[in-house]
Amino acid sequence: MLPVRHAIELSFKALRRNRLQTFLAMLGVTVGVGALVTSIALGRGAQDAINDQLRAAGANVIMITAGNYQVQRPEGTLGPPGHEATLRRADPNVMPASYRLNERPALRPAVWYRDATPAVWSDSGDLFPPAAAGMWKAHYEDDPNAVHDHPTAKERLGDSMAGLGAAATLTREDAEAIRTQVPGIQFATSGVHENARILLPATSSGSEKPKQWFTRLHGTESELPQIRRGWTLTHGKFLSKRHVEQAARVMVLGKWVADRLFGENVDPTGKQVVLWNQPFEVIGVVSSRIWAVQPAAGDDQFDAVYVPVSTVHELLNLSKLNSITVTTESAGETTRIAGELVKLLRERHGITDQMPDDFTVKTQAQQLLGKGLPPDLARVVAGNMQSVDTLTIEQLSQSLSRANWTMLALLAGVATVSLLVGGIGVMNVLLLSVTQRTGEVGLRIALGARRSDVATQFILEAVLLSTIGGVLGGLLGLLASSGLEKIFQWSATVSPSLVVLAVAVAGVLGAVSGAYPANRAAGLDPIQALRHE
Amino acid sequence: MPVISFQNLKKSYALGENTVHALRGVSLDIEAGEFVTIIGPSGSGKSTMMHILGCLDRPTEGRYLLNGNDVSDLSRDELAEVRNKQIGFVFQGFNLLPRTTAAENVEVPLLYCRPVKPTAQRRAASIAALEMLGLGERTDHLPNQLSGGQQQRVAIARALVNEPTLILADEPTGNLDSKTSAEVMRTLQDLRERRGITIVLITHDAEVASYGTRTVAIRDGLIVSDVRNAGGNAVGASPRAAAIATA
Repeated sequence: MLPVRHAIELSFKALRRNRLQTFLAMLGVTVGVGALVTSIALGRGAQDAINDQLRAAGANVIMITAGNYQVQRPEGTLGPPGHEATLRRADPNVMPASYRLNERPALRPAVWYRDATPAVWSDSGDLFPPAAAGMWKAHYEDDPNAVHDHPTAKERLGDSMAGLGAAATLTREDAEAIRTQVPGIQFATSGVHENARILLPATSSGSEKPKQWFTRLHGTESELPQIRRGWTLTHGKFLSKRHVEQAARVMVLGKWVADRLFGENVDPTGKQVVLWNQPFEVIGVVSSRIWAVQPAAGDDQFDAVYVPVSTVHELLNLSKLNSITVTTESAGETTRIAGELVKLLRERHGITDQMPDDFTVKTQAQQLLGKGLPPDLARVVAGNMQSVDTLTIEQLSQSLSRANWTMLALLAGVATVSLLVGGIGVMNVLLLSVTQRTGEVGLRIALGARRSDVATQFILEAVLLSTIGGVLGGLLGLLASSGLEKIFQWSATVSPSLVVLAVAVAGVLGAVSGAYPANRAAGLDPIQALRHE
Repeated sequence: MPVISFQNLKKSYALGENTVHALRGVSLDIEAGEFVTIIGPSGSGKSTMMHILGCLDRPTEGRYLLNGNDVSDLSRDELAEVRNKQIGFVFQGFNLLPRTTAAENVEVPLLYCRPVKPTAQRRAASIAALEMLGLGERTDHLPNQLSGGQQQRVAIARALVNEPTLILADEPTGNLDSKTSAEVMRTLQDLRERRGITIVLITHDAEVASYGTRTVAIRDGLIVSDVRNAGGNAVGASPRAAAIATA
């Protein structure tokens, strides 16, 4: 091998000799690599866009709610596997495995709320003035031995007052277990949902009247904004992990609530509102970033307020959850993971095989199907498509991906063809170079150049030519894909690794196209070659 | 030990359907420090002999010992190394690389010499060789800025730069006028006398042949005469050599 610097200088000298041909061949490589980079950027962009949209649509969200409102199925029809529960224990005298006879229900003491005012109505519907301030609040939901198998449960299932339907069975420990024990989980966040009155007290000067708003209250955790991908924080921040740990008196307002209490486009962060006679600091406002979803009265998202779940538990003396919201890392796995969640929760709740779930696991896709459809149509869908949950968005995602791959393959095909043409161009220039320099090659061989010396010289020439073309092509590809992104609103994903790939592809292309001319030069007979002048 | 020893060397190759016997059994020993001119008309086989001598080609039969080593059966790359280290070539057409300075041209054999010397050493060696040939002022000139005689001297410097034992000159004066030819021939004589380099020169010109210390005439693939020239410096053409050449 020649000294490297010398070899490179020699290559440049040779390339300069046929400027036009070199330029044209380089242009070929540039176009080929540019097409390759563009097609990969667009392909990746499309894939990312599909995933993004599906995730924003909630394809990876699984909702677990406490209780089981499952509609009774007609005899002989099958539901999803694992849910074929007989609704009554085989023998009413045999208690479930989780039942511990000698364990007394660990009930927490009832709490006296001094400031609470019990509302008392007369028979005629008038509100009596409170006889005395304060009220007791007792909680029996902690009974570990609660057996939700009322003898008439079968008949009453589906009624929210039935034992199963009303059961508050989920805990924050369940959420923690889901987070740590089920692989493929992205987030699992606890939820407690209440109705609440948010009060904005009168300013101290008395210039403003007090305002209030009745809305939904969600006790939640810090990951919620990452699950609700359609959200944007117009002011301030969402709840932090510390807020949840410390049960802080902080509140994030939905945009609708903020507008009602503070007026439109006023930054309420740092202001105080009152909930359950407790002052809460407003730390942020959430709104929608999807134009199709605008804050509206009663929408449960933006006509709502968010406080740490621990705060709700502490103030209301609760320990159970109404829901756990889970997201999976990949939209394609929700059905499988939903099945695992059912298994895990049944095990944690000590539910025997004969017993139905005391919770409901639904993928967002299932929920979406029911929502927004006219009731009769919804009934048709629900009645006719028993495996509708496995069909839905997961399959939509797959077929969209498949369509995208087809397009990507087509683009890659075009890129391959243009690379091939570029390679032929490089080979052509190299063959010209070998012919022009036959005499020189003969001389170099006579003066002691080995086969490999000659071959590497020409391959280096091809690689240099092609790599320069590749660098230009990489830039062209980046420009082209960002241009297409701007002009046609296509999504393109470019990364530094793509440019590295482009240059590497060009280098390999050069080496491959240079191989034949280089071999030809290396095999020249020095005697013949020397005569060639 | 002779520098070159041909032992009953034969070379034949196929030309269409005929087999051409270019060398039909040549035996020749050349000692160190000799200036041998090989003379013969075209088609005599002297070019073939030159190629075999220069390790550019291999004999069909017989043995060729260069500095005592048999080089008849070496591979292509091994021959390349032998050429690089032991032989300096001077060609009729100078064969300098265009658009390349004199110093860089002289450096070329060093680039293929393993292990490769550092840049500074290569440069120094090439300038020293050029200075030896009186071209110290012209190191950075391009070939087309030099006269024919100067170009050929650059080529001789290139042949010398790797300090070979043998210089092989193939019609070195073929493209030069008589005055410049004489200069180049004296340069070669000088090299032999001062540095003891063995020189083999191939020509069809009897006058050029007379500069050698020994003249070998070849015809139809065989050596027809082998004469030592006393002194070997030609003021004019040696009548004997001329007679041999025209015989």
